[in-house]
Formats: sequence, structure tokens, C-alpha cells
Amino acid sequence: MIKITNLEKIYRTEEVETVALNKLSLEVKEGEFVAVMGPSGCGKSTLLNILGLLDDPDAGSFVFNGIEVAKFNERKRADLRKHNIGFVFQSFNLIDELTVFENVELPLIYTGVKSSDRKKRVEEVLDKVQIMHRRNHYPQQLSGGQQQRVAVARAVVNNPKLILADEPTGNLDSSNGNEVMQMLTDLNEQGTTIVMVTHSEHDSRYSHRIIRMLDGQTVLENIMV
Amino acid sequence: MIKNYFKVTFRNLWKKKTYSFLNIFGLAVGIACAALIFLWVENELNFNHYFSNRDNLYIVKDQQTYDGTTFTFDATPGPLAQGIKAEIPGIKNTARCTWGDQLLFSIGDKNIYDQGNYVDAPFLSMFQLQFIAGNASTAFGQLNSLVVNETMAKKFFGTTDVLGKTLKVNNRQDYIITGVIKDLPKNVSFRFSWLAPFKIYEENKAWLKEWGNNGIITYVETEPKANITAINKKLHGYIQTKSEEAIAKMSIYPMNRWRLWNNFDTNGNEKEGNLKHVNLFSLIAWIILIIACINFMNLATARSEQRAREVGVRKVLGAVKRKLIGQFIAEALFMSLLATLCALVIITLTLPAFNSLVEKQLSLNIFQPSHISALLIITILCGLIAGSYPAFYLSSFNPVWVLKGLKLKSGSAGVIRKGLVILQFSVSVILIISTIIIYRQIQHVKNRDLGYNKQGLIYTYLNGNMKNNFPVIKNDLIQTGIVQNACLSTNRVLELGSNTGDFQWEGKDPNKQVLITIVGVSPEYISTMGMQLVQGRDFNKDIKSDSNNIIINETLARMLGKSDVVGSLVTRNNGMEKYTIVGVIKNFIYNSMYSPAAPLIMYSDTSGANVLSVRFTQNADIKTALAKTESIIKKDNPGYPVEFSFVDAEFNQLFKTESLIGKLAGVFATLAIFISCLGLFGLSAYLAEKRTKEIGIRKVLGASASGLAGLLSKDFIRLVIISCVIAFPISWWIMHNWLQGFEYHIRISWWIFLMAGLMACVIALITVSFQAIKTAVVNPVESLRAE
Repeated sequence: MIKITNLEKIYRTEEVETVALNKLSLEVKEGEFVAVMGPSGCGKSTLLNILGLLDDPDAGSFVFNGIEVAKFNERKRADLRKHNIGFVFQSFNLIDELTVFENVELPLIYTGVKSSDRKKRVEEVLDKVQIMHRRNHYPQQLSGGQQQRVAVARAVVNNPKLILADEPTGNLDSSNGNEVMQMLTDLNEQGTTIVMVTHSEHDSRYSHRIIRMLDGQTVLENIMV
Repeated sequence: MIKNYFKVTFRNLWKKKTYSFLNIFGLAVGIACAALIFLWVENELNFNHYFSNRDNLYIVKDQQTYDGTTFTFDATPGPLAQGIKAEIPGIKNTARCTWGDQLLFSIGDKNIYDQGNYVDAPFLSMFQLQFIAGNASTAFGQLNSLVVNETMAKKFFGTTDVLGKTLKVNNRQDYIITGVIKDLPKNVSFRFSWLAPFKIYEENKAWLKEWGNNGIITYVETEPKANITAINKKLHGYIQTKSEEAIAKMSIYPMNRWRLWNNFDTNGNEKEGNLKHVNLFSLIAWIILIIACINFMNLATARSEQRAREVGVRKVLGAVKRKLIGQFIAEALFMSLLATLCALVIITLTLPAFNSLVEKQLSLNIFQPSHISALLIITILCGLIAGSYPAFYLSSFNPVWVLKGLKLKSGSAGVIRKGLVILQFSVSVILIISTIIIYRQIQHVKNRDLGYNKQGLIYTYLNGNMKNNFPVIKNDLIQTGIVQNACLSTNRVLELGSNTGDFQWEGKDPNKQVLITIVGVSPEYISTMGMQLVQGRDFNKDIKSDSNNIIINETLARMLGKSDVVGSLVTRNNGMEKYTIVGVIKNFIYNSMYSPAAPLIMYSDTSGANVLSVRFTQNADIKTALAKTESIIKKDNPGYPVEFSFVDAEFNQLFKTESLIGKLAGVFATLAIFISCLGLFGLSAYLAEKRTKEIGIRKVLGASASGLAGLLSKDFIRLVIISCVIAFPISWWIMHNWLQGFEYHIRISWWIFLMAGLMACVIALITVSFQAIKTAVVNPVESLRAE
């Protein structure tokens, strides 16, 4: 599903040049659950942003579902993203002015799903993450765990092929964290590919494969048995 | 999608009520203010539109050149109307018209003065006056007929069904009402309650048959497709074909330009008249709208961090920049729509006050296509202007950065925000300075030494036997002890309308004509007015003894080129009439209060007198003095109500336009600074909020509340000072040019700039210090915990 080859990303300021990704190559197969680990500043998040088509690489190739996307413009990237990729963030990133229902509905609006279908699909997914009873609440009225469940619901409502999770349990206590990890595992079992950035060895054990990064390169791959 | 935008917009507005209020109220005030100005502009642009035939209507202008200076008048010779209609192709109709006459109308015990004109019958059809009773073709069928407007008909008879009724005019003649017309709206060039046949006026006036005597107005209606250039070409030398000596050059001047142009320079070229004000105020309206839009931009970008996450999430979920721009512009349009609704309330509440300020009857009708479309255009423009920059700014956020919660680079937005605040305050300071200068210029002219004492001086127009009874009236008035003196003259002192170019004197080039104002007065004139003789003597009490003597003013004395002009001769009418100068009076200001006194000759002659002036004693109680004067005049001239005018009040009326500009500039300056301060208030609140942690740390480290308040206010005051530096030279340039339009004007003093700058600083300081103090006194534990 994902094949990146010699990917480079360099951040430049007036005085400093930081190499975030240094000729990185890796492959993720459809249905895989991959955890990316490494110390702060090793390029994990940069990698995730490029995989999520939020950022573009400076050099190298990125093939997504057989299509070279490294040189895609903003419109094409947005289009590919909204149909294929779901995101889960550490800080949930829900819109405060929208209710739980409306937050989950948003990706469907951007993909142009009809209003009646939207309602059905949002309700289904809210039911799945067991937050249906809070559908009319605003994010501030929910606990962290509940907010992250809403975020997961939002990530999956479009049935994406790929979910990118950036430290999804970083802001949660262990029980809520485990719940979220279980949800991701369930999704993976239903066929969704997952790439997760994490600092947590515990969380990484839910994955099939751990990629360890250092200074913008992969240094080790552990296959979980 | 739209529903989603609407929801987010509405909830954002509701959540941040202060911000929403500042934004919407600021914009509403701006829109209301602009809408009021545009109503005024619309009224000015639609001036005379009541006359559907206006494209074919003209007034005849008369230009006379003396010593290289061209004067442009509306005065034309009596025979002109008939002559040009018969001889110049393309002219369909002409009508003579008097300058405006105040007649006493009586019926039963009702005696009321009303203003009107004597006109030729075609006037009624040319201007397509709307008859309620009677009609244009028959109204002037008999000599003493009278067409009245609705108001006048109702005033005398309580109804408009008055055809065939009679009104006694000036206690002498009966006029029969042959027509009733609808009242004219306020925004037309005419102000008359009645119209009567010109033939009545024409009786016994030989001068109306002379081609060289310009004393009445001539209106022209052309054929719809007439060649105006060809008509004017013929008119130019037309008078000279009738009278070789005449110097007046005629032309027709379109009704469509009467209001906004109708101003001529000394070369006889047309200049902008009221159009200057229409353009100026339209510009101010747009500036005020932009100031209000700037608030929106600044507040929106200042609080961008609060919207950043939403932008990030939307981008991650597939929104492209274009969609986000659309969302933010739609949001701005929605706010602008709310502001317009608020503005409608503000307009409704303030329109009466605005109407009395501009002395008009403006009204806003949202069902009128022009008004609703103008409001819609303003709403959309405001939304686009206010929303575009924040939309581009917010939509350009990198989702990776904002979702990571990284600090946004405020670089360009910060600079632009500062620039916009500077722009707002520069405009405000320019308006403050302009207001002060306009106000001081008006005061300067009002305080000008006119060369006579305008206080305690009243006048009334002569009627009945007042002229014959003048010695008795004067004597009775003086006997009261309240009246110091009284006199007769052809004109009121502020406006001396008669002039001629045919005076000659020794040493003068006989081929060069000098336009000299002439006024006939009774011997008490100079002493009653409080004018000052600088050479020679006043007129003798015996008028006849001075029938060949004149008194001139200093300007004319200088033209004579001698140090002592008393005893010198001036001649008129090719030397047929000879006059001896017996005195020179100090120049007094008449006609244009901004210009030096033009040359003037005073005759001791009351045959053409129209005005009785009365000077009260210095300490006279005005009310008692008026009552006594009225009872004496009534006693000595029974049957006529007495109406007085105060010279100083009429003097003030001369500055109506300047006063209006001054007042409006004041109102706009106040509004501009008010709207700017609303924005500044919001901005300071957000920036103070942003610096909460810094303030907390500074306090922990020992900073005082006053020091912190100063720290928070300093940046804004710096912006206001920069605004002043920009505004000073611009306002100097604008006002310097404005003042050049007046010969008698003030010098622009440095303290005006200092005062305006200080005002702006103080107002800005009060605005921002409220927030600064609020933030500075918070317990540092609170502010650090908030982090």
C-alpha cells in the first residue's frame, strides 16, 4: 500500500538546516499495523505527516496504492487524503464549536456524502465507539478518553484504507489508552492499515511490526510475533 | 457544507460575545454612518429630478468681463426671453421670472406674508408643475391670477378646493386663485408658495424693456434634440445685436448642472460647486467603512490562534485552501449582514437628528430598489473587504504546525495589523485636524470686522406706506429710547445686488470698465450701520441737497489714484450725470464675506428703497425693543404684519455650507475615532490575554502593576504617534488647499496638530489602559495557572 524510497525532508531556517528524513525507505503492506518509534526529533512525526499527505518531501519517491504522490499539488493531496486516510492525534483535535455528531460528520461533508447517508453512517460509527449517548455534547463536555473515541470515530467514518495515529494514547490514562488501542486493533482486524507513531512500548505491542528511527533513518525493524 | 459553516460561525460569535459585539457594532456604526452619507449624496444627486423634463431645461447665464475679470450672473434683460424664442432655432419656450417676492396676502383677518415669483405662463408647463386644481394652459388666462401651492391654499382656506377664491395682495389688489399645484419637494432649486403672471410685475417698469439692463431671470426649454452648442453660439453675441454698448454675453446653462456645478471662475469657466462636497463626503463614507472593516480584519487575525486548530482539522479532513477561504469569507459576509441589520436600527434612530443637521428630509426605504441594492452592495463589500485578508491568512496555516500546537509565526499578520491600526488612526487624526481648522476658519470669518456693527441691527422690507411715513416712524422709534437710529436703503447691508460698469473719472481709461456696486440710502444710513467716515462728510439730512453727491468706499477711492478724493467728480451715462464725492467710508464687507470690499458708491436717494434698518441702543432688551418697534411700525403703517430679520442671524446663515461641513467633519471624526477605539479595545484585550503568562512571570519577578500597564499600553501609543507623524503633513496639505479657496483665511497653527495628536493619544491610552490595568492587577498565580 505504501512504498517510500530515499525520502528526504530538510527544514531550513536562516541559520540552521535540520535533516528530518534522510534517504528513508520503507514499505507498509495493506492490512498491516505498524508502530514507528524513536527518540524525539528522530523524524517520526515528519514521516507521519508525509504519509498523511499533509507535508511534501524534498526528494525521494512516495507511492500510495500504486500511484506516485510525492509531487501531488495541494488539491490532489487533499482529495486523496479525504477518501483514503484517517487521522488520530494525541491532542484529539476536535473542533470546539461542533458537537460530537457534527465533528464526526465533517469528513463526510468534505467527501460530499448526502445528508441522509451521513446521519446513518455517523450514528453507526458513534455506536461502534460507544459514544452515541453523547452525540449532542460539545468536546469540552467530554473526558479525554471520550474525546479520543470521538476522534477515532471521525477517523474511520469515511472507511479509510489507512489510519495514521500520532501518539493516540499520549494524553490518556492507561485504561482509556487501552480502550483506544483495542479499537485500533479491531479496525486493523477488519482490514484497515494502521501506521502509529508512539513512545509507548506497551502500545507498540499491539502492532505487527515496529520501525525504530534515529536521525531521520530507520535503524531497526522488529516483527512482533 | 453551508449549514456547517453557519453553525460554526454562529457558535463562534456566541462564544466570544465581546469580540462579536465589537466587530458587529463597529461595522454597524460604520455602515450606518456611510448609509446616512449616501442618503445625503443620493438627495444631492437627485436634485431637481422632480422635473421630468429637466434634460431640456436651462437658465440663461450672463457673463460680463471687467478689466480681465469675468463675473457670471443669472440676471438677464427683460426683452431677452421673447427675442431668443422668436429668433434662435431649437428654443421651444422661454419664461421670465423674478428673483422672489414676499407679498402680503390677506383674507378676513388673516394677513400672512408668503414668498413667490412672478413668471411668464410657459413657466407652468415648462417645469410641468403638477396641478391639483386648474391647469397650466388656463391658469394665467387673466391678469390678476394666482397659482398657489397646497400648503398655501390650506393655510388660507383649510382646503385645496380654492379655485375662483380671491386673496388681497399688499392691501391693494385682489388676485384670483386660478390654480393649485402640489408642493415641490425640498430638493429642487425653487422655493415658492405662489406664482403670478409676470405681466403684473412688468407694469410701469420701463427698465424691463432695455437690453442693457439685466434685472430678471430667464428660463429656457429647448427642443428635445436641439443643438445646444449652436444655440449658445447664437446667444453669445445676441445682446450686442440689440444694443451695441452692452457687454453681457449670454449662454444657456442646463438644469442638470444647477446644483452640483453652477460655479464660475474669474475667466468665466465652469467649476465644481456642491459636487466638491458630494465627492468629499462620499470619500469619507468609504473611509469610515474601511476603518470599520479594519477592526474586523485586525480582531480576526489577532485571535487567529483560536481558529488555527479548526483550520488544521479541516485541512486534515480534506478541505482545500479555496474552501477554507470561502468559509471565512462567508463568515465575514454573515457578520456583515448582522452589522447591516444593526445599522438599520441605528439609521432609524439617528435619521431625525441627521436630517436636522443637514436640513433635509432624508428617509430610508428598504423596499426602494436603489436603497435595498445599495445596502446589499455595502454589506457584500464590507464582508469581502473585512473577510478577505483574514480568510487568506487563516487558510494558509500549515495543519502540521497548528495541530502540534506550535506557536504560529505572527510576522506578516502582526506587521499588517500594526499598519492597519496606523491607517485607522491616521485617518482619525486627519479628520480631527480638519475639523479644528474648518471650525477655526468659520469663527475667523464670523469674527471678521465687517466695517459696521451687526449686533442689535434689524431690518424689515418696506410695504404699504412705510417709505412715505419713514420720518414719522423713525421719530417714533427714537422716542422710545430703545432705538438709536433707523434708515432706508435699496438693499440689506449683507447683500448689495446692484452694480454697473459705466462710471468714469479723471485719469481712468475710458475703454476699461470697472464694476461698481451702487446703493441708494437715506442720510441716516452710515450712522445707523455704525460705519466709519475716513474722509469728508456724511450725507445732509436734506436729501435733495445731496442729490448730485456721493459717498464712496476706500477701495474705489484708491482706484481714483488721489490721496484726497473729496470734491472729485465721477460721471455716468456718457458724462450726462455728474456726481461729486463728499465723503469716503472705511471699507465694509458685503456680498462675499471672504473677499475684500469691492468698489462701492452710495447715493443719498430713497426712491428705490426696499429696506428699513433699525439700530437698537446698546443695552436694549431685544424682546422689548422688537415689540415696541413692531407696534410703532404697525401704528404708522396699519394693515401690514411686521416681520423682522436680525443682521447677525442672517450673517450666520451665510456660513451654512461651511458650518455644515464643519459639523459633519466633527461627527465623522468622532465616529472614526470611536470605531478605531472599538478595534483598539478588542485588539488590546486579545494581546493582553496572549501575554498573560509573561505578565505573571514579570509580576513574580517584582514588576509593579503600573509598570505593567505601561508596558502593555506602550506599543499602542507608539502606533498612534506614528499615525500622527503620517497624518500631520497630509492634513496640512489638505487643509492648506481648502483654505486657499478663501481669500480671507486663517494661518494653520502648529498647536492644532499638537492638540489633535494629544487627543488621539489620550483617547487611545484610555482605551487600551482599561485592558492593560485589568491584566496587570491579576494575581500572578492566576495567570500562571491559566498557562
